[in-house]
Amino acid sequence: MVQMAIELRNVLKRRRNKTIGPLTMNLPKGYITALVGQNGSGKSTLLNLLMQLTNPEEGEIYWFENRYDSGLPLELRQTIAYVPETSITEENHWNAEEAAQFRQHWYPNWDESYFQDLMDRFEVPYHMRLSKMSKGERRKFEIAAALASHPSLLLLDEPSSGLDPFAWKIMIETLLKYMDENNATIIISTHIVEELRRLADYIVLMHRGELLGMAEKDSLFGTWTEVWVQVTDEEELAELSAELPGGINFTMETPGVASFIIEQFSKNEKRIQDLGVKVTKSRSLELDEILGLWTQGHRPILIDHKRGD
Amino acid sequence: MWIPVQINENSAEPLYHQIETQLRSLIISGVITEGTLLPSIREFAGDLKCSVITVRRVYQDLENEGLLRTRQGTGTFVSHVGDGAMEEYKRETVGKALESAVDIGRSVHCSKDELEQIFMEIVERKYREKD
Repeated sequence: MVQMAIELRNVLKRRRNKTIGPLTMNLPKGYITALVGQNGSGKSTLLNLLMQLTNPEEGEIYWFENRYDSGLPLELRQTIAYVPETSITEENHWNAEEAAQFRQHWYPNWDESYFQDLMDRFEVPYHMRLSKMSKGERRKFEIAAALASHPSLLLLDEPSSGLDPFAWKIMIETLLKYMDENNATIIISTHIVEELRRLADYIVLMHRGELLGMAEKDSLFGTWTEVWVQVTDEEELAELSAELPGGINFTMETPGVASFIIEQFSKNEKRIQDLGVKVTKSRSLELDEILGLWTQGHRPILIDHKRGD
Repeated sequence: MWIPVQINENSAEPLYHQIETQLRSLIISGVITEGTLLPSIREFAGDLKCSVITVRRVYQDLENEGLLRTRQGTGTFVSHVGDGAMEEYKRETVGKALESAVDIGRSVHCSKDELEQIFMEIVERKYREKD
């Protein structure tokens, strides 16, 4: 039985220039769900809604299966940590130590030795004002401070922007370890494919304010395959495409060689061979290509978590 | 514990199946010995760049086959591999390799006798080398 960390029911947020939603989805507890989509697709708005930094005009949001229309209670807020896209300015005049003291006051589960350990690993200066830090240093402080509050729900808005590759690696390992040792839930918005590969269990695609669905990462990555085959001419290729209704982008590459994109290649490979067509090469599509097809309406296998499944 | 599982991203074989097949052979062939503590589901998923859903499924399948056992709070361990499983594994892997060799032989129009002759020659040579 899967419990839900977050549930959205027809959530609609009207912005001056665009509308986000209606969003309906369930985000399972204990997993890492990644939000992907182009700039302005509504990812940050969604995270802001989950922090009640902004409220929806329509629809309902549930946190751990409860609704809080008149504000999130303090005890719940204390179990949620958020690393926003741009750091809040209120802490700018403090150094890391002072900011940590402030946060410790509000988060009863604050783990000071864990915080210091992360700050050391990230090599963030302790006594520098947060506003004087480089973008990467500030980001590392934010991530360390978010984890030190020991959250059950961690919301990360492009956490790795500004991080160098070494810090990035530490962040990935730290998040995996945190998930391993705590029954936590992470919702992360990111553009970095390698980050999705290393972290995500589920991938949610947003496009122009709409939710295109949620897929299991491994099934998503295996969805599409580009296949090169030996065919003599366009005519033979047309015959082949008629036999493969799920295939798209049938193209003659050079005389004798054609390519196309097909879903579930493991199931279709034998059919292609049975048609007497020789496959010369195949490759799985990259995530950006898969997401591109998805936004054009070529959906992968989607999942719909139901409460109590 | 680092487990030498190699994922082929361009293979048509589903990810979970690749991981399961390789982990099973590592256990049955004795590369990973009885009592070894496997990585946690989250750790292994991070290494293999797959989701915890896939690793959980693999661990569950191999647990059902009796190759793994999970102790609450400690983790997933390699179980005792019975002689029966070892024999079955031998037959299966060697059988598979020979089958593809025979397919290749047939695709270049070898007769049955020719194939047998080549096979015996290779067996003779390999076992002589070994002694």
